[in-house]
Amino acid sequence: MDQSLLLVKIAGETAALDSARIQSVVELEGLTPVPCSPSHVAGLAALRSRAMTVVDCRRSLELPDAEDGEADGEGALAVVVELDEFLYALLVDQVEEVVPLEDEPALLRTELLPGWARATLGMVETSAGPALLLDPAQLVAGPGDVLGHAVEKAMA
Amino acid sequence: MDDLLADFIAEARDMMEALSGEIVAWENDPGDKERLDAIFRFVHTVKGNCGFFDFPQLEKLSHAAEDSLADCRAGRRQADQALVTAVLAVIDRIAEMVDAIGEGGELPASDDDALIAALAEGAETARPQETAAAAPSSKTARQTATPRTIRLPVDLLDRVMSGVSDMAVARNDLARRLAQSNGETGLEAPFNRLSAILVDLSEAITRIRMQRIDTLFAGFPRLVRDLSHELGKQVMVEVESGDVEIDREMIEVVRDPMVHIIRNAIDHGIEPPAERLAAGKREIGSLTITARQTGSEIRIGIVDDGKGIDGDKLVAKAISAKLITAEEARALTPRERNMLICLPGLSTAKEVTAVSGRGVGMDVVRANIEKIGGSLVIDSTPGSGTRMMLNIPLTLSIVPSLTIGVAHHTFALPRSYVEEIVRSAGEEMDKNWMGGRKFITLRGQRIPCVGLEEVLGLESSCPDDARLYVLIKLVGGDVFGLAVDAIHNHEELVVKPIAPVLMACGLYVGTTQLDDGSPVPMLDIAGVARAAGMISEVKDRTIRTGAGETRVEEKDLRPALLFVGFDGRERAIEMDDVRRIEKLPRSAVRHATGDTAQIVIDGRIVPLLGLSGELPDRELAMFRLGDGAGEVAFAYERMIDLVEFDPLSITKAKRSGERLALVGGRPVELLDASALEARAPVTEGA
Repeated sequence: MDQSLLLVKIAGETAALDSARIQSVVELEGLTPVPCSPSHVAGLAALRSRAMTVVDCRRSLELPDAEDGEADGEGALAVVVELDEFLYALLVDQVEEVVPLEDEPALLRTELLPGWARATLGMVETSAGPALLLDPAQLVAGPGDVLGHAVEKAMA
Repeated sequence: MDDLLADFIAEARDMMEALSGEIVAWENDPGDKERLDAIFRFVHTVKGNCGFFDFPQLEKLSHAAEDSLADCRAGRRQADQALVTAVLAVIDRIAEMVDAIGEGGELPASDDDALIAALAEGAETARPQETAAAAPSSKTARQTATPRTIRLPVDLLDRVMSGVSDMAVARNDLARRLAQSNGETGLEAPFNRLSAILVDLSEAITRIRMQRIDTLFAGFPRLVRDLSHELGKQVMVEVESGDVEIDREMIEVVRDPMVHIIRNAIDHGIEPPAERLAAGKREIGSLTITARQTGSEIRIGIVDDGKGIDGDKLVAKAISAKLITAEEARALTPRERNMLICLPGLSTAKEVTAVSGRGVGMDVVRANIEKIGGSLVIDSTPGSGTRMMLNIPLTLSIVPSLTIGVAHHTFALPRSYVEEIVRSAGEEMDKNWMGGRKFITLRGQRIPCVGLEEVLGLESSCPDDARLYVLIKLVGGDVFGLAVDAIHNHEELVVKPIAPVLMACGLYVGTTQLDDGSPVPMLDIAGVARAAGMISEVKDRTIRTGAGETRVEEKDLRPALLFVGFDGRERAIEMDDVRRIEKLPRSAVRHATGDTAQIVIDGRIVPLLGLSGELPDRELAMFRLGDGAGEVAFAYERMIDLVEFDPLSITKAKRSGERLALVGGRPVELLDASALEARAPVTEGA
């Protein structure tokens, strides 16, 4: 298998996303906030004629918001994924590099922070060191989706 | 092989859809050779294909049906009720099998021998009770020649469509940059040409998504036949599609509500034959399904001549169920009384039947129609029938919208909900607070209001006097005011679905993009009303002030413009018919002989009516009626006033066919816009 991973930085940690699921990496221009939306949804942005739902990965992983100086909101980098025919832009702090996937993700036996634990598919070893492989669907679902979390756990 | 199989399944489904009307018609007139041939062709095709694909079960069935039908064709056998029923059963079974094959599953195991035996001459029919009911008939238009078509995957269409939307966004971007360069770039002409092509293209694409409404209606004669047999009633169904085209996605959305209304009509509306005879009606009930396109709406009417809705009983029931108070009930107009059947948990049927159930349904029907920005109107005369009108927008994806601003946010909302827009500073508007809720009084009605920013949890810095109230009319007539900071624009917006994570808020139905490409959420008006506490119960109906009689008048009147034509006669035109009022220079008119004339509007030649005698040497004022190819302009001399009339007062003058309406107590001729559009000289083509 020629699988590769995109390494990103979220709140100082390196995380990996399956590059096969990624459509592109974009710099967000213009964000339309959507009132009353879940806290991890930053709003809507346009990718050509399609609207993307912008997901703040920090919020989704239940991590503190970025401090001044770190990338956030407008001009921020986002990884675009498509789930069930909807486009989502996952806001990350930095995009590092694309590396080949060397091994299947391994389950971590340690307890992680709840946000990370919910969104991860396991740990992967890469040429740039170990990283958590993230599930875009869980990032989109956000912390509110307790049921999805439970199902995931039961299946593991 | 897989491709061939897919073709076979698609072909079989198409044929079955086209066939369901034919069978019912054939049953009504078994001697009709043409219909017999159509059905024969179908089973014959299925049989032929089965041999090829090796579906022995399917082959056996279609073979048996083919044999019996061949006997009829050859005159060896007379087609009768029993045969029709048996053939119908076989076709249903074939449909089941085709579906199973399509899904790649196993063929459902069942005993086909009984079905085959029922085909034999003189066989006992499988469902004996059906023979008791007589044949319904159908006047469905015969589909003889099918237009040449190709089959396309829908996602390919969607890709082309989103490509065109992408182009439109890119074009707008380009337009902005061109405007910024503010100088001669030499690009204007090619750019304008590009824009024109793009407009054409997007129109064509929208048309591609359209399907004749026949596709939706084709199954109804069969549905009516089956239901009326089941209930021991006799129903004659008439389907008139009026060549209306409808977005293919819309077809799926409208199907269920229509099926439900048809069921209700047959189950609760149309009486059993004996009861009908006793009431002095024809033994056979009639059900008419029609479709008409008017402007940006499609009107689907389902009319029966049954016993109608007993408004008094309905009201009594609603009161005893504590859904409304006796006082509120007295204030209801007949249409509003009929709309009570859309309340959850209210049904006037004495018995619960398997066909239409109890009270569940009409509320769902109403909600579903409301969800797509449509509306439901119910007219009923006790003893002589009910008319249900479904008004639905032309497409799901292009919605006439209003863009509004509140607290520096922009939102879109479907214009179909908007009754009118009033300025907060308006003179005759009275504002009150009651129980923590704001009410405005407009023309004697107290209307509850809510600020959009309150619903969305925002802060508006706009001064109260500068705000605007968008009066929202929910399906069923409930009105409330939505206060916003600004109205940005009226536009036709392409609305796309919104991500489930945002849909879950219950306040948005989709997203759309403005000209500058920025995404904007489309508000779910029903959701906003619910969140604002405007729709939770029946109580949200506007509370009326003043005496009962003024209220009734207010409710039923329709606005019209009173004007004097060039022939010096005074006429009125219904406000709804006028698209806009235009003043154009005399030079734009080409005046031929008699009263034929044309005028150039927005670069198009439009028939101009209403002229007579010498043209005045000044700007011409005119109404623009209809749109697209059917557009006409009607010139007038001067406007007198904005008036209101009671639509019930319309009468037809016997000799001239003029429609007269009571305006301010005297008869005034009402201009018939649709007749004008139809009469207008054609300007199409070269």
